[in-house]
Amino acid sequence: MVCIIHTLKDNDRMSTQELLQTIARKIEEGEREFEIEACGQHDITGKGANLLFRITNPGQRVGAMGMDGVKIIVDGSAPADIGWLNSGADIVVKGDGGDTAAHCAAGGKIYVGGRVGTRSGALMKHDPKFEPPQFWVLKNTGSFSFEFMGGGIAVVCGFDCDGLSSVLGNRSCVGMVGGVVYVRGKVEGLAKCVEQVKLDKFDKDFLKSGMKEFLQEIGRTELEQDLLDFKNWSKILPLPKEQKEKKISVKEFKEQEWFEGGLFGDLVEDNGEVFGLAQSGDARIRKPEWEKDLCIDCSLCLNNCPQKAISKDLTRYNADSDRCIGCGICSAVCPRSAWKMV
Amino acid sequence: MAAVKINELHKSDLPWILEYDESKCIQCGKCTAVCSFNAIKPAVETRKTSNSIVNKEKTEKVLVIKQNVSLDNYCRGCGMCANVCPNGAIKLIRNEDDKYSVAYRAQKADSFKKGGRSNLNTEGRTLDKIKIGRISQMTDPSLDAQRHTFELKTPFGRVLKADKLNFDVKDGKIIETAQLPPNRWIYPIIFGDMSIGAVSWRMWEAMAIATAYLNEVHGIPIRMCTGEGGIPTKLLKSRYVKYMILQIASGHFGWNRIIKSMPEMTEDPAGILIKIGQGAKPGDGGLLLASKVARYVQEIRGVPKADLLSPPTHQGLYSIEESVQKMFLSMNAAFNFQVPVAIKVAASVTSVSVYNNLLRDPYNIVGGFFIDGLAAGTGAAHEISLNHTGHPITSKLRDCYLAAVHQGRQGEIPLFAGGGLGQTGSFAADAFKLICLGANGVFTGRMLMEIAGCVGSDTGRCNACNTGLCPAGIAAQNECLVKRLDVDKVAQNLVNYILATDIELKKLMAPVGCSTLPVGRSDALITVDKHISRRLDIQYSC
Repeated sequence: MVCIIHTLKDNDRMSTQELLQTIARKIEEGEREFEIEACGQHDITGKGANLLFRITNPGQRVGAMGMDGVKIIVDGSAPADIGWLNSGADIVVKGDGGDTAAHCAAGGKIYVGGRVGTRSGALMKHDPKFEPPQFWVLKNTGSFSFEFMGGGIAVVCGFDCDGLSSVLGNRSCVGMVGGVVYVRGKVEGLAKCVEQVKLDKFDKDFLKSGMKEFLQEIGRTELEQDLLDFKNWSKILPLPKEQKEKKISVKEFKEQEWFEGGLFGDLVEDNGEVFGLAQSGDARIRKPEWEKDLCIDCSLCLNNCPQKAISKDLTRYNADSDRCIGCGICSAVCPRSAWKMV
Repeated sequence: MAAVKINELHKSDLPWILEYDESKCIQCGKCTAVCSFNAIKPAVETRKTSNSIVNKEKTEKVLVIKQNVSLDNYCRGCGMCANVCPNGAIKLIRNEDDKYSVAYRAQKADSFKKGGRSNLNTEGRTLDKIKIGRISQMTDPSLDAQRHTFELKTPFGRVLKADKLNFDVKDGKIIETAQLPPNRWIYPIIFGDMSIGAVSWRMWEAMAIATAYLNEVHGIPIRMCTGEGGIPTKLLKSRYVKYMILQIASGHFGWNRIIKSMPEMTEDPAGILIKIGQGAKPGDGGLLLASKVARYVQEIRGVPKADLLSPPTHQGLYSIEESVQKMFLSMNAAFNFQVPVAIKVAASVTSVSVYNNLLRDPYNIVGGFFIDGLAAGTGAAHEISLNHTGHPITSKLRDCYLAAVHQGRQGEIPLFAGGGLGQTGSFAADAFKLICLGANGVFTGRMLMEIAGCVGSDTGRCNACNTGLCPAGIAAQNECLVKRLDVDKVAQNLVNYILATDIELKKLMAPVGCSTLPVGRSDALITVDKHISRRLDIQYSC
């Protein structure tokens, strides 16, 4: 038996609440198949297994929070939020969908036989314990489609899109971090965080088997051959994090674009070396100078130098600039001030 | 040993006291080697080896680390010694009973000079008492800071009201009937005017690289003001000069090379900034002490190695009107009226009068008004000016903005605010709040120094920028210190900081629901302080 619900009688429209509670009651009574002549009521679906809904003229969020075992067929178009938070239902919209179709869908299949609006496929997800959600669109999507997508599979067939600059609208896939979008036709204004690549064999096999079922459901089997010509297909994947920023580094910029020898190259002597703190050679702030006349050859400097920089030949003491860091200990321990720090 | 006398300098008079743990010291000499101020030294102490009354003459000499007690070579607390000590044998303790600056004046008969920041924070910061309190939730859509598109750009140059635009319609097309005043859309943050000389050549180059890189690789149209110390000829003749705002101040240093390069310049500079005053030391001119006037600084500036004191005012300018006629006109003429010319003044009780006068400029040649607040830093100043003169930035910026609003002329001369921004940690928040109060943009020198590794603090650590002995190589001019600074790293860090700030600015713009700069959107701000609420005309919240 098919349960038929007319939602408009003598100008008296059934409210969303009445309709949904009627459906719930009928399911409890054992009804499994419904024909609903809707009048813009929201959130039309039902809770239970093996349920089939044939709907005309639904309101927003048809099939929202759809469950496993539920099948919804919309004869004609449906407004915004088809299959919002779909978790397992199979939803077929034979006409166009509105904005945010398949928004947050994480399971089930959503088939749209026309176009869908802005932000469609946004925030789709995939819980790996279950099958990924599928979202098939015969024609094109509006802008900001697949925004923040985290998982699942989307297929946009680009049929009847001649003259469109992008079958995914503008700024598609902004913030996409997971999942895949298969697309046939031109794409422009893609977000920088994704890449558009060629299909591989696995992709083609998936599209071949999936396309048959999709076209059957929306009643367009005659398109199969055209749509499975893979030369216009590509897929969009999120870029791995490390590839998102492909900009040259500051160091590379300096080497490739900046002034040879540095901006001050003709004004100061600077080979670019960076001095560590308390190092020897030119990094020294003060250097020891030895005065022969004051030296009493006691060797205290030599014995106390922490860097072992001081050596003595027959007549003189010498601080090796490669070792000396300019600490001044030689000068401090010298009883006659023969070492001066200058 | 000579007797210690009361009327000489003692260790207890100094601002920092060295705490030395001999048991941890391995006498490696790194601490004394690293000290650019020559404030600590190895020394030999004579000690008794026994407390025995029989052997009481027995002594030994030991090597220790000691602090110099001197008016010239004294510890500024920079902490480099503690940083290099492998064993943590050294600590610097702030001396709360410091008498140094008294002793300096008493013994030298001279005003005490220093660099860096004012260390007399008597009033707390207004900006810290302001929060961004208007968050779009159900009222209007907020934006996604990370992913949506934002336009962080602000006009630099004179903006004409719609009815004053020199446009006409001819054959259905808009045509320009006379040249419009030059105007550039730039990033709302300007790298603030630190001169070659005030900072080291490496620091200056790092800032220039970061500026060029942000423009060319990230498309962030940030500008850098050169400061009043000239600019290398190479840069003038390169394409990068278009990111540079040339500064002219009362000393007019460096302009010889700029003028000589003009015939060979392929690009116009981003703008010209006439510096009348600076927030750190209003009423006082630029100061570069001889120790920092290195050979190349002498060349670029055309002066010998001597203390360089810029006059406190522009000589020959005696009124606001005259300054408009003379300075603005000449500077506009320098680049054929194609380059915006702005002015920078120290925030002052009189700032609004100046701004009002400039708003009446009949020639449309005033391209920006930069106000520099009390908390700004400087390369060198008399301590008296640094600590006791000036005006906080927040209310003065607000006064100027509201003065323009009351005449229906806000935005005609873009306002830029600066002076100590980022002082309490968040530069982006400070910038955002000032923009909401009416600034078109902000400028900073302080943050650039901090990013480059400045060890100074607002509570008196280091701040020896005037000495040329900057331990970080930022404000130094001698090779051994300047070469401590890693140009590549500093440039990268400056870039990173701006990229982070860019995200943070968006994080504040998004909840307010603005994808363009919220200039004058004071409705976004609240304060928990009634006086601030009344003075700035923003909502009081509690």
